Amino acid sequence: MSEAAVKSTDATTEDEGGIYLDQFPAEAKVIRSALYSSFLALALGGLFGIIQTLHRTDIYRFIDSETYYTVLTAHGVFLVITFTIFFLVGVFTWAVTTSLDRPVEDIRFTWLWYGLMSLGTVMAGGAILAGFTDATDISADVLFTFYAPMQAHPLFYAGLVIFVVGTWLAGADWFRSWWNWKQENPGERIPLPTFMVLTTMIMWYIATLGVATAILVFLLPWSLGLIDSVNPTLTRTLFWFFGHPVVYFWLMPAYMMWYVLLPKVSGGKLFSDPLARVVFVLFLLLSTPVGIHHQYLDPGISEGFKFIAMTNTMFLLLPSLLTAFTVVASMEHGARQRGGSGRLAWLKALPWRDPVFAGMALAGIMFAAGGFSGMINAGMNINYLVHNTLWVPGHFHLTVGTAVALTLMAATYWFMPQLTGRDLWNRSVALVQVVLWFVGMTFMTNAMHRAGLLGMPRRTAEPQYEGFEFQAGVGSVAELDAQIAIGGALLAISIVLFLTNVVLTAVAGKRSDLPDNSYADTLSGPEDSPLVLDNLKLWTAIALVLVVFAYSLPLLSIVERGGLFGPDVTAFPQHIQFVASMAVSVVGDSLATIDPVSSLAQFADTTIATLTGVIR
Amino acid sequence: MRISGGALLVAIAFTVPIVVELRTILAWFGVQISVFEGLVLGLALIAALLVYAFWPEADDSPDASSSS
Ligand code: HEM
Ligand SMILES: [Cu+2]
Repeated sequence: MSEAAVKSTDATTEDEGGIYLDQFPAEAKVIRSALYSSFLALALGGLFGIIQTLHRTDIYRFIDSETYYTVLTAHGVFLVITFTIFFLVGVFTWAVTTSLDRPVEDIRFTWLWYGLMSLGTVMAGGAILAGFTDATDISADVLFTFYAPMQAHPLFYAGLVIFVVGTWLAGADWFRSWWNWKQENPGERIPLPTFMVLTTMIMWYIATLGVATAILVFLLPWSLGLIDSVNPTLTRTLFWFFGHPVVYFWLMPAYMMWYVLLPKVSGGKLFSDPLARVVFVLFLLLSTPVGIHHQYLDPGISEGFKFIAMTNTMFLLLPSLLTAFTVVASMEHGARQRGGSGRLAWLKALPWRDPVFAGMALAGIMFAAGGFSGMINAGMNINYLVHNTLWVPGHFHLTVGTAVALTLMAATYWFMPQLTGRDLWNRSVALVQVVLWFVGMTFMTNAMHRAGLLGMPRRTAEPQYEGFEFQAGVGSVAELDAQIAIGGALLAISIVLFLTNVVLTAVAGKRSDLPDNSYADTLSGPEDSPLVLDNLKLWTAIALVLVVFAYSLPLLSIVERGGLFGPDVTAFPQHIQFVASMAVSVVGDSLATIDPVSSLAQFADTTIATLTGVIR
Repeated sequence: MRISGGALLVAIAFTVPIVVELRTILAWFGVQISVFEGLVLGLALIAALLVYAFWPEADDSPDASSSS
């Protein structure tokens, strides 16, 4: 960006009021680009979502089952990395500039990190999409968890690293703004939105140390052929060191919207600023030391460490319950300001017609349901029942797929006018869109949870095996499949409506009087919160200590047992042909001689044949 | 209208989870119903909502047999 743009933002910060575009024109441009990148990812992810839904329910198939892993990888990566994180950097930039009331320090730096994130996305996304064609041998069918020994093209890992470095610089941008603001405003409390951004970013810096190590030290050199093998348990553990906190990285922008925007659109004030700060500090402290709860079924980590992770996980319920309380209290305050009364009748006074409000409220309600299935996942013993079944996608389509995605879509209806100066193209379509998402997710996730309870696996194109029937408690498996497909279709329609509204707002939205850029006031403000809450150094130190406690012993014992570079593990795409044919000749033939299990052998045959194809 | 159009839409959306899980809940009490019967019950629920929403404000005795 040019110098001139920087100057022009400087000039406008003095004026109070106005929409964001008028206050910070240069920043509005970056944020718009970030949001558009995010929506592009949503469009792609949604497309792959409906393809795989129709395929695995066997309702309509037009891809080979071997391609399913490519589709699923693209779905996962585009939605939970690209869509969410591009949106986050946009919202966080808005939050910092608005609440500190100052432009970014150097807009060229801001464009730099946006550029790095885009470059990383093109590299990693390109590697995934290249898996659809045989023209190159580039592919990255490793799912968003990229577990070794599945191996992706180096382009994929390098892309991820560059993307993450982009987010690091984005964080540096916001810290720099805050630091300079602090010098000019000594003794002032950090405004709440900036506080949320900073605590979230500290968590992110700590968490990404895990993936950065996994990729830079192990996976990337391994895919480049510089080292022969890796220790799968080690890289998996490093992944989940980051993999749990990344969940909060998706959630934090949604929480921020619930705290600073939802009370405002409800017509009231945020119930408590101090409580909101406590919640963000708790997430900073607790989100990293719990990652092992994704590894309850991993061999090579002792039960004791898993048990500690479980206990810590249960503590994480606290900030979510605090959020539920604060948000509902703020909504009730809003409703009563609008003339609502009665014990429950106040609900009627809420602005249900407003898609920003309705979308966020529905997202919050779905999140409560997701919280319950999350508690099931978190329990070490009961996790064995649902592990790697369709229950798990059922759970996270409620959390990241709805609580986060729907909140971001609803927030978009507020941000688009702020960033473009144009009114939303169609408010009723927006309302129908958010309601459709709610209904679609109800169908899809309900059936996924129930299919999971029957033991139906996730991450497979062929969940139905020959000669084996899943037994549904109530209803039938066909009915569950139908529900998943209906839900998926409604979601796809919802995404189309959303994108249509965004595009038409950008090109055809009318210019009219728009509400000023601002966020919710508080009933109990920062002056009521103890000073220690703003002591970021203290919280960072405690967070680091907790991480060391939680991870040093497990990591040591993993390395002790498996070696830093593992027992000689062969990479998956290269050698699967060999492994699979070995398996067929050894297992397949010997099983085929025993009559009662001959169908099993047949199943082994077909699975292996599929596997061989999948991982070309 | 006793509630806004938006609120009505959301309220109808809310009956969906209930309709979807109605059969499971009823099965809990030993009542087995088919998908079709569940659907009919759901539609009845939505009809009741519509009647409530459109019932004139002054009249306080909703009569489910006629809708406005
Ligand atoms: C049109 C909307 C969507 C549809 C139809 C859809 C459908 C599905 C289905 C059926 C699966 C399970 C596939 C399997 O395990 O075999 C899945 C997986 C997944 N979905 Fe979605 N989904 C949608 C939107 C979303 C959104 C908005 C997000 C997140 C923001 C999301 C994140 C994921 C993730 C992370 C996985 C797991 C990928 C993996 O196992 O590696 N989905 N989706
Ligand atoms: Cu987790």
